[in-house]
Amino acid sequence: MAVPLDKQISQLNDARRIVLGDPSFYPRVVESILPIVGANAALELQRWGVEFLAETFASPVIPNKVKEQMAIPVLSTLKDLLEIPGGHDTAVLKGVVQASASVYPLIFKYMHGKISHYQGTLLNSFDNGSIDNPIDVPVWNNMALIKSNIFRRWDTSVSGVKICCIKFVQKVIQVQTPGVIADPRRPEQNETSIALVPRDHPLIPPPKLEPETSGLLDRLLDVFNQDTSDAILVDATLNCLGILLRTRQSIANKIISAILKFNPLKPANSPLSTKANIQIRSMEKSTRALLLHVYRRNPESPITARIKQYVDRLTQSRIDIFDDGVSKKRALPFEPTDGLDSTKRRRLGAELPPNTGFPLAPNGPNSLAQLYTLTGDQTLASFDVKQLPQDLVVSISQGLLAHINQQELDQAINFVRSRFLSISKPPQSGALGEDEEDYEPDFEPNEDREQILNRADALPPEDSAEAQAEVALGPFELPQPPPLTQKEMAEVGRGTVNRVFGMIPVLDEPAGVKKAKPGLNRLAGSTYDREAWITFITRLATRAPAGLSDDGEEEVESKALTPANSQPSQLAEVIRDNLWRYIMEDFRARIHVAISWLNEEWFNDKMQQQAFTGQADKDCKSSPPKQYYETCVLKILDGIMPYLDAKDKLLVRFLSEIPEVSEQVLERVKSLAKDPERVDLAVRGILYVLSYPHANFPDDHVKLTSMHSYLVMFKPPAREISLDAMEDLWRNYDDAKAPTTKYLQKWRPHVLPPAPAKSNLQVPNGAIPAPEVKEPRSPLPTPVQGGAGTAAPQAKGEGSDLKSPTGGGMPVAAAG
Amino acid sequence: MAVDPRRAHLADPRRTALATPTPPPPPATRPPSSTSPTNGVVNGSVSPQKDDSPDYRLRFCTVCASNQNRSMEAHLRLAAASYPCISFGTGSLVRLPGPSLTQPNVYQFNTTSYQSMYDELSAKDPKLYQQNGLLTMLERNLGVKWGPERWQDWSIGAPRLDNVAKGDQGAQGSEAGLVDVVITCEERCWDTLVDNLIERGGGLNRPVHVFNVDIKDNHEEALVGGKAILDLANSLNDAAKQERNLNGQPRGDFDEKVPNILAEWQERWPQLPALWSLCWF
Repeated sequence: MAVPLDKQISQLNDARRIVLGDPSFYPRVVESILPIVGANAALELQRWGVEFLAETFASPVIPNKVKEQMAIPVLSTLKDLLEIPGGHDTAVLKGVVQASASVYPLIFKYMHGKISHYQGTLLNSFDNGSIDNPIDVPVWNNMALIKSNIFRRWDTSVSGVKICCIKFVQKVIQVQTPGVIADPRRPEQNETSIALVPRDHPLIPPPKLEPETSGLLDRLLDVFNQDTSDAILVDATLNCLGILLRTRQSIANKIISAILKFNPLKPANSPLSTKANIQIRSMEKSTRALLLHVYRRNPESPITARIKQYVDRLTQSRIDIFDDGVSKKRALPFEPTDGLDSTKRRRLGAELPPNTGFPLAPNGPNSLAQLYTLTGDQTLASFDVKQLPQDLVVSISQGLLAHINQQELDQAINFVRSRFLSISKPPQSGALGEDEEDYEPDFEPNEDREQILNRADALPPEDSAEAQAEVALGPFELPQPPPLTQKEMAEVGRGTVNRVFGMIPVLDEPAGVKKAKPGLNRLAGSTYDREAWITFITRLATRAPAGLSDDGEEEVESKALTPANSQPSQLAEVIRDNLWRYIMEDFRARIHVAISWLNEEWFNDKMQQQAFTGQADKDCKSSPPKQYYETCVLKILDGIMPYLDAKDKLLVRFLSEIPEVSEQVLERVKSLAKDPERVDLAVRGILYVLSYPHANFPDDHVKLTSMHSYLVMFKPPAREISLDAMEDLWRNYDDAKAPTTKYLQKWRPHVLPPAPAKSNLQVPNGAIPAPEVKEPRSPLPTPVQGGAGTAAPQAKGEGSDLKSPTGGGMPVAAAG
Repeated sequence: MAVDPRRAHLADPRRTALATPTPPPPPATRPPSSTSPTNGVVNGSVSPQKDDSPDYRLRFCTVCASNQNRSMEAHLRLAAASYPCISFGTGSLVRLPGPSLTQPNVYQFNTTSYQSMYDELSAKDPKLYQQNGLLTMLERNLGVKWGPERWQDWSIGAPRLDNVAKGDQGAQGSEAGLVDVVITCEERCWDTLVDNLIERGGGLNRPVHVFNVDIKDNHEEALVGGKAILDLANSLNDAAKQERNLNGQPRGDFDEKVPNILAEWQERWPQLPALWSLCWF
């Protein structure tokens, strides 16, 4: 120690300057200073020594291989420095522990490399018969001693040393927890971890180290559980955990859980001193920084939701506790500062153009290779990987895959994705511009307007006019109107019916224009004149419940009309009402309308009855369909009867042309006889039912005899009731006695008191067929009705089967 | 004093600062124009001091967004007080105000010197940049070091002998590329920096105290902030020196005292909210 201390230090500084300038001198310098700065040296030298060693093993410019070699001789010095009796110099201890933390992975790797080497030489050594001692036991022993010494100091030292112990422990945990083996074939490239050590390593057997590691981790994380948290220890721990969270997946969750249980603001209940304030703020900020770091690195991880929640809660608590701090922070942006502040915050990408990658043709075809080429370098982009041998490609890609930065990969994938989307989107201008021939307006697009608008928003704003045109082309769907109430529907229905009737006067035409009669070939409702319109209306009324469009019997049958009282029949009632009113307005001119209507009604009743009986076999629930014919006949009859005069032929025609005569109808007719003036009319009406003239139906005058037989002959089912009515007239109406006697004599002579006239019932009966034969040319009251070639006369034309009145109605219906 | 209410806002000190910015005065110790020969003298004077253990110096690093105004003012202050000091910016680019808010002058970190910025701006519009204080600021900076450096690009622990040779102020003592204390001038920078240190993974196993002293980004505040940072540095260094002077006594814990020191400092500088954490290089 002849050399004065400061001179020695000065010399050492010179040496340091040399190695800083040229790192290759490090091994020699380290070797030569070790004896000078050892446990026996002066404190100043020790401090300088450990500082230098810590700096050396931390230096990023020295290759790991070199550091590993230097580490072995350093171990004993470090151990001695730790074991100086009474040696408590903080600076020395801090330096030693820092250096040890850097050295530990090196030694660990050295031990592992040694065993690899040992295994290699073992195989070779069988030849020459000698084995070197391959396992460097003293080296590991030194390391183990340093390790245990540092663990002991962890609890007892001052904070400055403690934090270094924390870092050392973190390093030990990092090394003794399996890491990712990037490339097993190149161990020197791999991060040192226990994953590289064989299970049966004699000195560092992983099974023995694992419990130690686990215990160390627990102890390390214990700082978060303590009530009186020392900010510096918490910060030191938090800030060293990042690397473990990133590279040691097996323990990451445990660490995160421990942090999430930690509440750095817990001590902030009582009024805070400035120091406590600073400490709490410090812990809070450090916790937040670490968690946000984890969050940003892997936002997809399942734990990030909890992290987010924790950070949010932390923010809220902090605002509650340090509201003054917050207000100070809030005040900042409002400060008018000079230009420096605001411009600095402005995002300017001008100087650094974004990576656009290989340019893609906007319209032309692009190869997959072009799509995935992200480099802007032309020569690199045109490089053909296929030229390389396959095994080389495989080994290169393996190495590359292991070193891919997740963030960069994600960015690249997103970039390719956006490129793909941009070219796979059909060019917007094409649909509207050049290819107008191919343009087919789609009136039933799959998207609604919102979606189209959204898509339009997402489009690049090439041309706002075009974008608007695209929007305008989208079909607009009116919202559904609110459902109509029953009342509203009835009103609307009535309005519709009124409009339908309103058509009739519009279609008015001169009566005499149409001379040609199509006869049997006529098709109902095909001429689009007033008559056709009336046919249409009558059928609308009668068959509305069966469906407005159906014309045929099959349809009627299939549709069965179960909801007889539902909406359509109400509509039908309205139509019937209007129809009746229409007829009554001018019943003489419109009697043919009444007749064709009643024919339709009667036919419809029969069809429904048929359908009902057909269906009743299968389903007996439904009620029998309502019969309208009868009511309608009576209603019309009631309507016209008051206006009939004694010589009116209208009644006879009406009675003759309606498809069915019932007792009730005759009852009405009979009532006419109450009026002495109209007795004749009533009798004629009823007699008409009984007998029919052989001759033509005279226009001007109708012989009673011929008329009376009308119903009897042409409506056989009505004969009996007609005769009953006749008899009733004879008995009850004095005025009617005279005209009826004659006919009763003919048909029911037994009713009359015995008279001189001989009765011959057979003759008229035998005479019935005769008029049938002539009938087609005969009965038409055409002059009166003005060319009304309605259903009734034709029904009579069918003639041959007079027993079935349906035979009369059917052809008319079928013709429609 | 009666002031026209319409002109009252002009009396606001910040307004005044805006209208007529006060350029930072050139440090008394060294004129900004001084070049390497002068530095040699400074180096010569610092070197022997460092060997002297009573004059132990903590090594500092100052950080702001663009490594122009606040960090450079503090850098100059600390270096002038013979502390080893380096400085960085955490932004992506160096941004200086231009003729309007939307036309800033933007430069790359690490590759653009203060001198070239000075030359460019004085060629562009000397009057404007003289008036808003940029030229004065750049003049100060180019006397401190060559150009703005970016924190994220700093290789911690890599020797910085070049900076010593270039005569950067504060380079002496920080040639190993390591510091004991980092002081940022804005919370945003502190966040970025702490996140970056976590990202780096603490492979050097060296503890570092990272402070934030919130300083508004203008010339006046930078001057005040520089003073405050020097005050903090002195307090910290005193504590560290105290610890070393204990010569191996069991009680001497600089690190533990840091919150205390900061609390005391905060009471002295209540207008500059401070923050601190212990991080790892």
